[in-house]
Amino acid sequence: MQDRPTAAELLDALASFMRDRAEHARDRWERFQFLVAANSLAILRREWELEEDACVAEWSRLDRLLGPEPLPRRQQELARRLRERNEELCRRIREGAFDERGVAELEAHLLATTLDKVRIASPEAARDIEPR
Amino acid sequence: MPEETKRVVPEALARAFGRELPHGEPRLLAGGAMHDSWAVEVERDGARAELVVRVSPRGRADPEKTAREFVVLAAAHAAGVRCPRPLAHGVAASGEDFLVMTRMPGDSNPRALVTADRYAEARRRLPEQLAEDLARIHRLDPKPLAAMPGARAPAPGEDPFFALRRQTEAEYRQLALDPHPVIEWAFRWLDRTVAALPVPETEPCVVHGDFRVGNILYDEGGLTAILDWEGTHIGAPEEDLAWFCTRVWRFARPDLEAGGITSRDAWIEAYERASGRRVDRGRLTAWEVLQNIRWAVITMMQARAHLDGHTVSHELAAIGRRTAETELEILRLTGVVERVRHAG
Repeated sequence: MQDRPTAAELLDALASFMRDRAEHARDRWERFQFLVAANSLAILRREWELEEDACVAEWSRLDRLLGPEPLPRRQQELARRLRERNEELCRRIREGAFDERGVAELEAHLLATTLDKVRIASPEAARDIEPR
Repeated sequence: MPEETKRVVPEALARAFGRELPHGEPRLLAGGAMHDSWAVEVERDGARAELVVRVSPRGRADPEKTAREFVVLAAAHAAGVRCPRPLAHGVAASGEDFLVMTRMPGDSNPRALVTADRYAEARRRLPEQLAEDLARIHRLDPKPLAAMPGARAPAPGEDPFFALRRQTEAEYRQLALDPHPVIEWAFRWLDRTVAALPVPETEPCVVHGDFRVGNILYDEGGLTAILDWEGTHIGAPEEDLAWFCTRVWRFARPDLEAGGITSRDAWIEAYERASGRRVDRGRLTAWEVLQNIRWAVITMMQARAHLDGHTVSHELAAIGRRTAETELEILRLTGVVERVRHAG
C-alpha cells in the first residue's frame, strides 16, 4: 500500500501544473502542447478509476456473444485476453455471423464498450447520449 | 527546421518569375504539419504583391502531388473558385518541393469562426458561398488531372464510393493497433446499405479531398479562399460534402453537423441549389460513415507514428485515444445508438 498522495492525486497535481504552464505559455504552439498534456493526464486519471470495471463488464458481454470463459484474475492478463477475444469477435463479424441473428445483442455490446472507452478518453463527446 | 525551408524562398521566387526579384523578409504562417508556408512581399514591375511560398521539407517532398495540386488550383481559380492563384511549382536544388501562389486575405482559425460573435454574418453566408465553390470544383474537367502521374481515381466504371471504401479498409488492416469490432461492423453495414441503394448516375469528378472549415480563409463577410488542395483527386461530390460534416471538424459546435456552421440539411440543400443536382440522402449517410472510418484510421496512423518512433510526440500519441469518439459517431450514423436506446 502506497502512502498519500494516491495515484489520482498525483495525476491531478501534474495536470494542474500543465494547465498553469499552458496559461503562461510563450506562444500558441506551446500553449496547445501543455493543454494536450493536461488532457492526457486527465485521461489517465479517469482510466485509473474506471478501466478495471469496464474490462470486467466487457468480458461478461463477450461471454454472451462468444460463449463463456473464466474471468482472468489479474488486470494485465484480462487486458491481453480481451484483445484476443475482440480479435475473435472481429473475425466472426467479418464472416457474417451476426448478419441475421444476434444483431441486437451485438449492437448493445458495441455501444456499451464504446461508451466505456469514451467515458475515459473524451467524455464530452458523449454529452448528447449521456447528459450530465 | 523552418530555417531550411526558408532558404528555398528566393530560389522559388526566381523560378516563378524567371529572374531574381526584390523581396521582403519571409514570415512563417501558422498551421501546416506537412509543409512550411512563407508569406513574402515582392516588388514586381513597380507594384508590390503578397505571395505565399509553400515548401515541403526534403523528407516530405512529393513533386508529382504538388504538380497535381498546381493544375487543379489553376483550373479552379480560372473557374472563379475563391482560392489562391498558383504561379509556379518545382523542386529546389536542395531537394525541397515548392509551390508559389498569391496570398489571400482572411483568418484561418476554425474555432473562432464557429464561435465568435463577430463572425455571425460570415457563418450565415458561408454555406451558400462554400456550396457555390464546391459545385464549381466538381464541374471542372477531370481529364487533365486524371492524366497526371500518381493521380488517384476509381478504376474505369468503378463507383468512387467502393474505390475509397477499398482503400480505407486496406489502410485499416495495415495500420490498426487493436481489434475494432465497431469498424468491422461498420464495413458490414456499409456494404449491405450501399448494395440496396440506386446506382449513382453521375460521372466521377474532381474533388478537393480535404474540404473542411479548417482549410478555408474567411472574414466578416464569409469565404475569402479555399486552401490545402494537396488531397485533390478523382472521386464523387459526396466525398467532399460528407467530409465537411464529420464530427471532428465541427470544433466547438458538434450540434451543427456541417462544419459547426449550419445543419446537414441546410448544407446539402445549398449544394443542390448551387450544383443543380440532387444528392441522395441515404448515399450521403454511407459516405459520412466511410469518412468517419477514414478519420478513425487516421487517428490510428497518428498514434502509430509516435509508437513506431517515426515522430516522437505526446500529441500524436494522444490522438490515438480519439479513435473511441469516432467509433461512437459511427454508431450514431449507422443507427446503432438509436436502436439500442429504443430496445433498452
